[in-house]
Amino acid sequence: MASTQHVLLSPAELAYLHAALSLTPPIRPDGRAPAQFRPLVAETGILPGTNGSARICFADGTEAIVGVKAEVERTRLVDGATAGTEWKEGGSARGEGEDDDGGDKAGDSDWVELTVEIPGYRDDDAGTAFLAAMLSEALLADGAFAKRLWINRRFHWKLYLDVLLISPPLSYPLPLLSLTTHLALLATRLPRLKSEGDEDPFFDDDWAAARHLFPRSSSSTTKESARPPVTLLVMAVGNNIIFDPAKEELAVADVALAVSVAEDTTAAATTAATMDLDDAAAPAARSLRLLSIRTIDPPSRLTPPGVPNAANSAYGATTAQKQPEARTAEAEAVEGVWRAPRGGAKPLVMAALVQKVLEKGGVADEILDALDAVDLG
Amino acid sequence: MSDRRRINGPVGATIPPVSEDGASREVAGSRGGRSRPPNAIRKMYLKTGVTPSASGSAYLEIETSGRSGVSGLKLSCTVHGPRSLPRSSPFSPHIILSTHVKYAPFATRQRRGYLRDPSERDLGTHLEAALRGAIIADRWPKSGVDIIVSIIEGDQDRETSKTQGDESWDLMNALSGCITVASAALADAGIDCVDTVAGGVAALVSDKGDASPSIVIDPIPSEHDRILAACCIAYLPTRDEVTNLWFKGDLPASDTELYTKLVEKGIQASAKANRVLVECLGETVG
Amino acid sequence: MATSSGTTSVAIPGQLLGPASKFQPGPGTHIHNANLYSSLLGVVHASQPAKPPGPAKRLTKITVPTQTPAELPTLSVSRTGVSEKREVLPEVGNTVLCRVTRITPRQAVVAILICGDTVLEAEWQGLIRVQDVRATEKDKVKIYESFRPGDIVRAEVISLGDQANFYLSTARNELGVILATSEAGNNMYPVNWKEYMDPETGLSELRKVAKPY
Repeated sequence: MASTQHVLLSPAELAYLHAALSLTPPIRPDGRAPAQFRPLVAETGILPGTNGSARICFADGTEAIVGVKAEVERTRLVDGATAGTEWKEGGSARGEGEDDDGGDKAGDSDWVELTVEIPGYRDDDAGTAFLAAMLSEALLADGAFAKRLWINRRFHWKLYLDVLLISPPLSYPLPLLSLTTHLALLATRLPRLKSEGDEDPFFDDDWAAARHLFPRSSSSTTKESARPPVTLLVMAVGNNIIFDPAKEELAVADVALAVSVAEDTTAAATTAATMDLDDAAAPAARSLRLLSIRTIDPPSRLTPPGVPNAANSAYGATTAQKQPEARTAEAEAVEGVWRAPRGGAKPLVMAALVQKVLEKGGVADEILDALDAVDLG
Repeated sequence: MSDRRRINGPVGATIPPVSEDGASREVAGSRGGRSRPPNAIRKMYLKTGVTPSASGSAYLEIETSGRSGVSGLKLSCTVHGPRSLPRSSPFSPHIILSTHVKYAPFATRQRRGYLRDPSERDLGTHLEAALRGAIIADRWPKSGVDIIVSIIEGDQDRETSKTQGDESWDLMNALSGCITVASAALADAGIDCVDTVAGGVAALVSDKGDASPSIVIDPIPSEHDRILAACCIAYLPTRDEVTNLWFKGDLPASDTELYTKLVEKGIQASAKANRVLVECLGETVG
Repeated sequence: MATSSGTTSVAIPGQLLGPASKFQPGPGTHIHNANLYSSLLGVVHASQPAKPPGPAKRLTKITVPTQTPAELPTLSVSRTGVSEKREVLPEVGNTVLCRVTRITPRQAVVAILICGDTVLEAEWQGLIRVQDVRATEKDKVKIYESFRPGDIVRAEVISLGDQANFYLSTARNELGVILATSEAGNNMYPVNWKEYMDPETGLSELRKVAKPY
């Protein structure tokens, strides 16, 4: 799949890239700083037939579209013996008012269906399934997202997220797809509910009155509102930590992680009260929540090894006559000759990667700020 | 197309109503309560060479928690190869791994189909990442190896896993078992590895009795009220390296201490599983 | 773990075998951080090095003198003695036995059956191109005068080749067809460097004949 697709770089090029990225500070092939993202163009509300949509185009030409469609669906009763009692309790509880945002507004992860389509790959490709699982895992991690789809005891919204990569996957598309999904969800609006209680839902057909799935508090600047998660791709080469790697950079990665973070709404709400006096300090008070981490199998393990001069017959090395069993020509690493990395990564390196993503005022903060600036139409 | 000539049953699957009697209530009451200490994994049984026709194979069984209606984890792994790649695939200087993880249709509470569903494909990708780091791929150019893990029993609680989100945590336990059993099968097949990789799971759980959440290793979802976060780790003990890390949950980013501790415990769980693996491999040769 | 005595001991992947400065890596081992580790499950063998070869031949070409740590014993790990199911992959320089499956004017397609002394479990496909059939008069070689489908050929691996085939060569005297069947279906015997003869019909057929040992 996309992360392990064949990299058409020679061993010499790989060795050069690895050396350049291991310097302090690293020299990236496109001249970016280690934590700098590729420039991108983003817009929302491009598909009128959807509840929410977004498009992001990276400077390297990769482009993704996400469309969000919502349908009303009947909630399956809690199965088994508890179903009857649940109903009874529900009936008695009804008098107490339906508007409490209490714990009974339970969501189900089945209410969200996320599919990823990448040109040139089969729908059931393992890598595509991995990307879809990664994106939906982050979305559903805190359990709060599914609760937003709750209509009443008998009905809920079923949300279909269709993530389409339009261009061929020039680089590992995870950050692109995640950012596009984030924007599409921010732009998603659901019709306003007119019916009350547990009756069949009935909606306001005025689209202007539709409420956002993630309501934006435009009035008070201090109060941060909930937002969908973002997934960042981060990799390590030598002692350096590099964000948003391009395909060539990923090809020499020692380890690559996909880290999903979201804003902490509860903490933001409490701090907002204390920060009321100082508006400027509010964005810095954003606290993040770590939702999921996955190791991305770096394609560097599948790169061809270089041949050191000492073993190259063109440079006068005598090819020793081999016995049939001596297949394992184990050689010491030679400086400047590329060898595909073996083994995994030290736990400390992994911890440093995650730390770098999560630190206050770090890259995750920067990304969330930048996404804030996108006009949601 | 509906059949109008006959009286049909309701469309879709339904579950027969079960009257709530004292016995089932009692079972539900006894639920929970982890009997092991927080840093102990369940006992496991590992054996290599169970499938003679494969190049390498292994079988792993993790004990049940002792209550009725709860199944343990039973995994069987076969390794086929190294063998030549299909003609259509391009030249590769390395061995090409292909991993398949499949739940048996009867392995879980809800019956699984014969085709692999997205969650099984996802597990396969995780397993591939964990093993790719462990094998020495350049020893076998132009060849491929198939690693097939069948989950015979899926470590699920038939009585009490009605609570939401249980199944997603079960995947982590299944993955750690897959990693351990595949590692044993790879060693049995004679494919060069830098180390023996084993899987381990640690979770941050909150129980009713405890005030603050605690970290346990090898968690059984039904034994805890809520799992806040969990991570599955594939770890190489002699090199002190991690080949796969899968974390899921909801942790405040300000407190990275908690995350670090969780990973540490995951490594600890993996190291414990590795001891079983080493013992088993020693028996295979000796 | 200490295998300096040369006694057999069991190793599992990742087990430390000794410092890389004291041993040479053999099959089933790998080097990590200047130490030699096992990479296979099996028994450790330590083989003492052969006598360093003296200057038997006059050097015909100038080579960079390489420091050969020939005095170090070689450590290897293999499953020998447990069960011989370890698979071997043909490698450049190996002598292999193969069966011709298909011929075209430009090449003969073969299935590699035996590599060195090991019978392969998997069947690997090889290719003998027309220019690799013999060392002399390469331009006059015709594949159908050298091989026929069903022949057993001894050949040398010269390249890992493309995605599907290993490239083989029979351009040495002792390489070529070692077992051939006539059109009548009888086993034939070699009569000279390019002919096999059917003992029953007395007809001869053209082959690239391997020199009998």
